[in-house]
Amino acid sequence: MRDIEPTLNDEQVMRFIHDGYVMLEGVVDSTLNTACGSVPAGHLTDFVRSEAFRREVLLQPQVGGAARSLLGANLLVPASAHHHLYEAPHRGQTWHSDGLTDQGYGITHLQCYYYPQAVALEDGPTMILPGSHQRVVDREAIAHYGDILGQLSLAVPAGTVVLTRYGIWHKAGPKLNTTRRGMIKFSYYRNTLPKRDWVTASDAVPAFQYPERHPYVTEVESYRDRRRGEHTWNWLCGTVPVAEPLPPAHRVDPGIALDELVRRA
Amino acid sequence: MKAEHGAVHGGRQFRTSSAVRDWLDGCLEKLRTGVLTEADLRQGVSVLEAERAPHQRLLYLYSKSTNPRSSLSAWTLYDPATSDEPVLPSQDVPYASVLDAVRDGWRIVQFPRPEVYRFSDLDNAYLGFEFILERYG
Repeated sequence: MRDIEPTLNDEQVMRFIHDGYVMLEGVVDSTLNTACGSVPAGHLTDFVRSEAFRREVLLQPQVGGAARSLLGANLLVPASAHHHLYEAPHRGQTWHSDGLTDQGYGITHLQCYYYPQAVALEDGPTMILPGSHQRVVDREAIAHYGDILGQLSLAVPAGTVVLTRYGIWHKAGPKLNTTRRGMIKFSYYRNTLPKRDWVTASDAVPAFQYPERHPYVTEVESYRDRRRGEHTWNWLCGTVPVAEPLPPAHRVDPGIALDELVRRA
Repeated sequence: MKAEHGAVHGGRQFRTSSAVRDWLDGCLEKLRTGVLTEADLRQGVSVLEAERAPHQRLLYLYSKSTNPRSSLSAWTLYDPATSDEPVLPSQDVPYASVLDAVRDGWRIVQFPRPEVYRFSDLDNAYLGFEFILERYG
């Protein structure tokens, strides 16, 4: 097994800082997607630690490359996952974030969604709110929210992986049919101090470029998003002190260091 | 965007009842197969009477400022008379503004108060500004 090479450039890293997600459509091989058709709902360990799942999903060049770009070298690779499986129609979940919101500026935790089967709008796709990872909220206090301008339904082709900044608001969308809709959720963690070692054209560090305002964001909120984005960019580039423990102290999965996996191979 | 009995929400009226729709769909199916009866049609009266039972509906509107003329960023309708069947999400705002909803008959029962919105130079939090409106009838 070779080390994982970063794939994102400056512009794409800035985009992730702003949106809180990066979507890689149809990147997982169809053989692995098909194999997921018999995987039961719930906690997964053996399946996630299999050579095929590591090769085709966790360390797939684009998936692993995006994670490597955002979390640095020797990141912690998932050793377990959770299969969210829906078949019966339902109204959908309420908006929430998982666990406690990571309030720091750093990016230390990527929560990822893998869709083995194609997901249509009627199948109850995961919904996310781009930019919401920058909001500090009590997850139970956003449960009454409904439609929000700019919300995104992840209606995606089979084999899609979406990497998100932990803390992004999300929910299972309303499901109108009985089509199987599976999503395997797993997390990567940072294990090294940040530095600008993704794909770069030169050593000169560019200033953070704030993209357009998200549709639901007010004027003053956009000022804060811009400033917070600058802090995160500087943190990722390694130009400011790091206060967060690395790897993060609280993890849902201990993970396995990438260097260890490479050494074993 | 608006209909006689309220705003259209992603192609659906806020007041559209699935009970009425189900009754109508059933009648149409029976009509096509030639088994529609007088009793089927009379059942519609009780469905409509049940719909007319007065109840409160709540509409949460998230305005871009404390000004009720501001554009909206989010919205939710809670109506105890609607069924629990799933409905697709929408990106069509039901009203142009809070004031537009008031013009349509909604009454404001909670105004956003600036002092409850903690001001920070860095951290965003909940959606603002939350107006809660109601309609009874």
